[in-house]
Amino acid sequence: MDRSKFKKAMSEIIKQPVERLGDDALLSNLVTDSFLLVDMVIELQEEFGVFLVQEDLKEVKSVGNLIELFETKSRETA
Amino acid sequence: MLSENELWLLSFYRSSEISGALFFGKLAQSIKSGPIQHDMTKHFADESTHAWYWTQCIDRLGAKPLKLRQVYQDQYIAAAGMPANIMEVLAITQVFELRVISQYSVHSQAQGLDPVIRDTLHRIMEDEKWHIEWIRDALHEMENQHGKDLVEKTIRKFKEADREVYSHTMSEHGERIKEILYANERLVNGPK
Repeated sequence: MDRSKFKKAMSEIIKQPVERLGDDALLSNLVTDSFLLVDMVIELQEEFGVFLVQEDLKEVKSVGNLIELFETKSRETA
Repeated sequence: MLSENELWLLSFYRSSEISGALFFGKLAQSIKSGPIQHDMTKHFADESTHAWYWTQCIDRLGAKPLKLRQVYQDQYIAAAGMPANIMEVLAITQVFELRVISQYSVHSQAQGLDPVIRDTLHRIMEDEKWHIEWIRDALHEMENQHGKDLVEKTIRKFKEADREVYSHTMSEHGERIKEILYANERLVNGPK
């Protein structure tokens, strides 16, 4: 998965500059509105052709975690 | 003239409708086109209209809406966890809508309720019936994609969260709500 493309899409959805989306950046700091977080995750799934369920997100805290999850799911789908 | 508790509750309804509208509006904007996008857009429009009904209702009763930071939906996500896909969003919404109808129904039956409030509750409850129908049908369709077991398990999980949230809300605001539902009854029937 193209990490820069993923971060660009994320940046457009949550209206945060890509520079703030370092792998260690915490999602809870970037997106304080829980509804926006739901919307972001759903929109990214549609864009990258991945399907997630609630349990998948349990351990996701940072941007890096989220990208790794999408990469794993993407490989499973392929 | 609204009591402090009544104003709080009507403002709480208004804030929750606004919050629902913003959430569905955002999703309707971002999900792919199709029947779910179609119905979700209508749902978004309804929630916005309901927020307007409550604003009008409060206005007609000579008050101004209170600014409330927390809405009911926030507590749902805190208790049930964040939904990760459209099926989970619809499942949590269905459970939430059933709770709203139940609350509005109980409120509408309170004795001595101002007709302006009762009319607003009835108008909104009519729309809520359709919300439950379209979501039920969409979830039924999704059983083909996700499996009946997963859809049913998801609904069950959110129902458990709903009970937890309702219990928490009642422990926090129960006295206030009971006061509204039964204060007018005392006025009509006299003290017991």
